[in-house]
Amino acid sequence: MTIARLLRIVRQRLRSLLRKEKLDAQLDEELAFHLEQLTNEKVASGLSVEEARRAARLEFGNPLIVAERSRDQRRMNWIHDLRQDLRYGLVMLRRSPGFTLVAMTSLALAIGGNAAVLGALDAVFVERLPFAHADRLVIIRTFAFDNPRQTDGASILEFTAWKERARTLEAIGASLSGQRLFHAEPDGMAAESMPGLSVTPGLFAMFGVAPLKGRLFDPIQDASGGRALGVIISHRLWRQRFGGASDILGRRVRIDGASRRIVGVMPPDFRYQGDDVACWIPMILLPNAARQPGAGRWFVVAARLKPGVTIAQAQADLDEIAAGLARESPDRQKGRGVRVQPLRDALYGWTKAPLLTLQASVALLLLIACTNVAGVFLARGTVRRREIALRTALGAGRGRIVRQLLAESVLLSAAGGLLGLLVAWCALAALTTVLGPPPAAPRIATIGLDLRILAVTALLSVLTAFASGLAPALATGKLDLASALNASAPASGTHPSGHRRRSLLVAAQIALALVLLVAAGLLSKSFMRLAGREINMDTKGVLSFEYGIPAASYAKQVGYVGVYPHFAIDPSPSGAIDRVFDRLRQLPGTLSVAGISYPPVNSLVLPTANVVLHDRGEGHAHQVAYFLVTPNFFSTVRTPFVRGRDFDARDAASAPWVAVVNESMARRFWPGEEAIGHRVRLDNGPDERERAVIGVVRNIPTRSNQIEPEPVIYASYLQQPSRYAGGWIGMFGQMTFVVRHAGDSAAVLSSARRAVSEIDPSRPIVSVGTIERHLTANRRESRNYVFALAAFALTATLLSAIGIYGVTAHAVNERTREIAVRRAFGAGKREIVTLVGRRVLAPILTGLILGLAGALAFTRLIATQLWNVTRTDPATYAGMSLLLASVALLACVAPTRRALAVDPTIVLRSE
Amino acid sequence: MPKPSDLLQGTLDLLILKTLAREPLHGWGIAKRIEQLSGDELSVGQGSLYPALHRLEHQGWITASWKNTDLGRNAKFYGLTREGRQQLERELESWNRLSSAVGLLLKRA
Repeated sequence: MTIARLLRIVRQRLRSLLRKEKLDAQLDEELAFHLEQLTNEKVASGLSVEEARRAARLEFGNPLIVAERSRDQRRMNWIHDLRQDLRYGLVMLRRSPGFTLVAMTSLALAIGGNAAVLGALDAVFVERLPFAHADRLVIIRTFAFDNPRQTDGASILEFTAWKERARTLEAIGASLSGQRLFHAEPDGMAAESMPGLSVTPGLFAMFGVAPLKGRLFDPIQDASGGRALGVIISHRLWRQRFGGASDILGRRVRIDGASRRIVGVMPPDFRYQGDDVACWIPMILLPNAARQPGAGRWFVVAARLKPGVTIAQAQADLDEIAAGLARESPDRQKGRGVRVQPLRDALYGWTKAPLLTLQASVALLLLIACTNVAGVFLARGTVRRREIALRTALGAGRGRIVRQLLAESVLLSAAGGLLGLLVAWCALAALTTVLGPPPAAPRIATIGLDLRILAVTALLSVLTAFASGLAPALATGKLDLASALNASAPASGTHPSGHRRRSLLVAAQIALALVLLVAAGLLSKSFMRLAGREINMDTKGVLSFEYGIPAASYAKQVGYVGVYPHFAIDPSPSGAIDRVFDRLRQLPGTLSVAGISYPPVNSLVLPTANVVLHDRGEGHAHQVAYFLVTPNFFSTVRTPFVRGRDFDARDAASAPWVAVVNESMARRFWPGEEAIGHRVRLDNGPDERERAVIGVVRNIPTRSNQIEPEPVIYASYLQQPSRYAGGWIGMFGQMTFVVRHAGDSAAVLSSARRAVSEIDPSRPIVSVGTIERHLTANRRESRNYVFALAAFALTATLLSAIGIYGVTAHAVNERTREIAVRRAFGAGKREIVTLVGRRVLAPILTGLILGLAGALAFTRLIATQLWNVTRTDPATYAGMSLLLASVALLACVAPTRRALAVDPTIVLRSE
Repeated sequence: MPKPSDLLQGTLDLLILKTLAREPLHGWGIAKRIEQLSGDELSVGQGSLYPALHRLEHQGWITASWKNTDLGRNAKFYGLTREGRQQLERELESWNRLSSAVGLLLKRA
């Protein structure tokens, strides 16, 4: 195309856009000229002026149509049309504010929800991780073959074996998380306990991250302990504890009793294994570490695959190593498997199923919202047939009519999209809480409204406009002129194909709503069963916090007993804990004080002991959960005793050793017998003594996703050996204190803080509110998630109820005359109900059947999120079908009553 | 009035362009000229003439200006642009190809 022609075309278009009136006037003038010439010609051929004019008119045809067709050649007409269409659409929407409001809100909810969840999915699964070669980074975890859903970290033996034998790994590193105590400093800085990470020195380099200041650990020197002990601190710690001091590097700090030099500060956005890690300490693995047996699997192991190695290849490689380990040390490694996971999956994998479920749900919701709007448009289309037929007769093309009808849905979707942005903004904020404050998911906290979400919202709005408007517009635009115009009254203007379409839409809505209802129902059931568990503790009016001393200060490894390290415990940590316990009991306002070695409920880490039932003559040990408690623990948290008694002052170190068991343990080990008086021995090394069971307590659920309670044994912290063989040496030096108090908990807390700091200023109270946090931790996330899904499902139900109401009401309106005639001929109420019911029952039933099938497929997605409920739970399916069917039928009641109220005399007379 | 044979789609454009190749004309003049030159065999209805003219104008093949006729009446005159002339060449060529092909087919079939 030449430039000259292009310019000419542009000028033409601009003129037709901006100088429309002038062009129109010129067009009229041009046609008038033609008519004039035609008349002149007729006059010249001998007709009178009057006759010539009439003949010319006849020959010329309707000048309006010629003008309209000529105008249509202007390529910018569509803008004028659009403006007109939009204005008209606005008028139509304003005329039915109820519909407009419902449609707009439902579209806004659906569009916004979709945009938000897509945004979160994008942030979690598509955006690049801030690590070098992130696509080759993996997390390696272990699991027991008989419980593959529960994965563990790696033991030192496993880590070393992978490090030495794996052929597919380029680099490997381990980390170990735990609280680190920063001691009080001479310059008045208070002691502070913060989460820290011990890391193999090469870990940072493997991730390809750089420090903000200073250096990373040196893989050789920092690993051997050859250099002075170093520590790398987080940006936040640098800012908050050290005030962002510029001379921070090289400063000495005391951490867990050892003096360390600060060698580096990490940038603020570096996060791995928790976003609140305050410091990183080099892990020193002695050369013979792997040969020593170690029981715990506490290492989180990350590795980088060699270039070109797939996950499957790495998995096969590590499977082989696992098989080798099982042969070499069957007692520790038999039945253990390895799982290689891409880092992204390991960090965010747990959010994948919920996010995809949410995404699928909001997508279904959007579909329902669209079908609803489409249904109303279809219905309106049939009502507006005469108006449209008139416009067609006046020369509007079908395209023009379709565009006009589309304008309304475009307006609706645009408004829905704009409101949807607001919804998306709120939903994104909610999503980050739905998924909890994610311990290891850095990015999700940073997702927000960005350009991509705007783009997605816009795209969704456009799609919505077409999804909801195009089919009805096409259907309406296609109507048969003659029949529409000839119809005497709108009441008799039945439009069977429109009705069939709406029935289909209703069936689709019911099906989609049922899918959502079943999914939400299953998840709620699972959630309720977990939430409805008997906790058997009364935590109201109880203040809880943790106090602890590091194991290094009281335990020294002296050898091994079997596979377990054997520790000498000296001095006994119970002395330090005793002092705190005594002081707390003297605090004013406390009613009762007690302690337990680990949070007793919904625990992530569950210490265990092997119990040998001596009086049974059984040789082998049963692994059960094991807690150390102070006297009166159960009475303080008000855990009821089935029989027997709580630990009390009688149970001193010198008295006969005793134990309390939970109901589950009593039932498991001594079914049908009196548990009290039975003697057990904990396999914690040679110094343990036999303990007599003195009490049976109700079950406190130890894990968050557990319904069936597991056996638990409790012993007094005072009746403990001076040597311990096992994996839980830390439990002797820590207590979660529970303080039942009267009055203000803040006052009690501050006096407790003061009391504890008087005993030892370097060891403050930490984790205030431990018990509450454990009680609500997983609950809040899953509650919000279940709430979100339930809200979607209920919205879907409501929308489909509106849809059904619309169809029924429409069917009644359409048939008012027919109903009147039937009534006049003596039809009973029953017949009328059947007449209306036939219209709606079929789509409802079809929808229910389709929905059940859909739910069976959809729940595959949530199978892994269900606890204690199977995904095919018949009760849920039946219940939800029943619920939806009732709502659907309820939606038919009002229109059916209207049908029954039809008075034949009035209707027929008015025709 | 005998109903003129329907013009093949696109043929009207060709006729208009060809008519305007000699001199600028107004719509009435174009219609008359086509009738004349075809020996009254072809008649162009106003219903298709004016839309065609406006289309060609919007495509940049012809350009319009208001001038007085011989009788002093103000009218809209259309003239070929340079690109319009090239377009005419192209359309003529394809018309010739088409008509000879159709002729050939009719002769042989």
